[in-house]
Amino acid sequence: MSMGYERRWETRRQPGGSAADEARDSYYGLPAIHKPHWKWSIVLYFFLGGISGASYVVASLARLFGGPEMRPVARAGRYLSFLTVIPTPLLLIYDLGRPERFHHMLRVLKLRSPMSLGVWGLIAFSLFSGLSALIQAAQDGLLGRRGPARLLRAMPDRIIGLLGSGPAFFLSGYTGVLLAATAVPLWTKNFLLLGPLFLSSALSNAVAALFVLLTATRQAGSHALERLERLDRLALLAELALLLGLRANSGPVIGRPLDEGRLGQAFRGVLGAGVVGPLLLQALARRRHSGMAQALRLLAGLLVLAGGFLLRFVLVFAGHRSADDPQATFELARKR
Amino acid sequence: MTARGPQGNGRAGTTGARPGALGFLTDTTLCIGCKACEVACKQWNQLPMDDFGFTGYSYDNTGDLGATTWRHVAFIERVSDREGRRPTRLKAFQSNWLMMSDVCKHCVYAGCLEACPTGAIIRTEFDTVVIQQDICNGCGYCIPACPFGVPALSLTDGKAHKCTLCYDRLKDGLEPACAKACPTDSIQFGPVEQLMERAKRRVADLHAQGVTEAYIYGDREVGGTGGIEGLNAFFILTAPPEVYNLPAQPELPQRKVLPAFLSTAAAALGLGLAALLSLRRR
Repeated sequence: MSMGYERRWETRRQPGGSAADEARDSYYGLPAIHKPHWKWSIVLYFFLGGISGASYVVASLARLFGGPEMRPVARAGRYLSFLTVIPTPLLLIYDLGRPERFHHMLRVLKLRSPMSLGVWGLIAFSLFSGLSALIQAAQDGLLGRRGPARLLRAMPDRIIGLLGSGPAFFLSGYTGVLLAATAVPLWTKNFLLLGPLFLSSALSNAVAALFVLLTATRQAGSHALERLERLDRLALLAELALLLGLRANSGPVIGRPLDEGRLGQAFRGVLGAGVVGPLLLQALARRRHSGMAQALRLLAGLLVLAGGFLLRFVLVFAGHRSADDPQATFELARKR
Repeated sequence: MTARGPQGNGRAGTTGARPGALGFLTDTTLCIGCKACEVACKQWNQLPMDDFGFTGYSYDNTGDLGATTWRHVAFIERVSDREGRRPTRLKAFQSNWLMMSDVCKHCVYAGCLEACPTGAIIRTEFDTVVIQQDICNGCGYCIPACPFGVPALSLTDGKAHKCTLCYDRLKDGLEPACAKACPTDSIQFGPVEQLMERAKRRVADLHAQGVTEAYIYGDREVGGTGGIEGLNAFFILTAPPEVYNLPAQPELPQRKVLPAFLSTAAAALGLGLAALLSLRRR
């Protein structure tokens, strides 16, 4: 066993300030709470889980209400949902301090622990996502013609899709509740906004991914792509409103990590290049024809995806920064 | 600096602790900063040393509670107030010390316990909060779920650790190592109800002696607020909680679960409707 040093705090001492100054308003500027250890694997999990859940919802709705021209969207949505859900348990297990004990999560179900709920929700959703992808594969003739393929083709795929949309929405949105139910100032201050923000961003990411995939493979007609773009616009507008709400609701102290330094740049990057930029590009594309418009829409889709990943990165790491700031913790814990 | 004495909203000295719950009263007015509690805790629980460094924060080279530090003595030398005046009648060579031995609060309703997705964190028969080391898988969710920054993940074994209130010693009818070692009885161990009565008498005594700043941290008025319903390990402090790196009015993080899920469900309905209207055949 290696001797690892456990002590990891850092100070927020202002240049030129004395220790006596710091000891009046906080304990030498040291963090008052501990931040989580979550790193890139959790950011990636939030991103892929969001896309997986939302693309399942889009596929189910497209299949239920979209008519024949939306069939390619439903097909791509089912495959995309399954492909993006496969790595998610691996990312979660990789993040554990003791990965070989991952199955200890299955000992209990705790309704007040979003992580416990998330584990069970992920399992429930994976079953739906896998089944719908199998049915789609059988319908596409990828599984042959006999035996199980015939059974799968006979299954009520629309009803399964409708039932699976519940866990799908849960997977896309519960991550916001997971962050909210902590003592981390930036997260818990925005407890009502994080879930909706994760949901709308997941939807815009899934739609953008489907748009890019279907355009690149020339699988869908222009009607289907137009409808996807309309949905993308609505999701992006919701995301924009929620992002601005998040910044305003955080206030000057707790919201500081969203303004300052690299994280502040990244947050503005999410707003500008990940949300407003794609909206403008899509508006521009509607005024042009053919090739140019197609390129603009593709670029918009890719920007939305990059913005979705960056948003989760910023939310996680800005949370870490706010947990390290004792003034943020104390502001949250003032007399209400 | 506001005095947080027995005045207030009438919940001073009240706690939701269950009958027979065991806990600590840490009376910081008696602490002499000897760190015997830190050492006794390390010795009894066989905890390795921490970063062997120099912080520059008064006599505190420990800094914080952590995976291998379950008692932490904070040192605050209040030499001047914001205007540069000396905030005490003590003589110039005296440092106007505040010392406080911090520890897991063993909350009546504990954020770490509620957050734990494996059931590794349990409430024991002594009403203390303990992380079962054979169950914990190091998910780390208890760490940000604690409003006091107590549990921490160990880099050596990947699991979460914190004070157990010496569960093994309690099983054998012994008091916890830190309380046993404390030479001034700044750390007192016993049933929370009795300790709370003793704390109230002590605060009244201190007020009579002119230490009007003294108050209890860890009742339903200060420290044990927002659904936490009191701390089974509570304190007598003489400065605002922030000075000791403690939140004044912490809240149980899980209070946010239901409203957050409701707002998320409302957003799911709205976005689902938007998706339906956008994707439907027309």
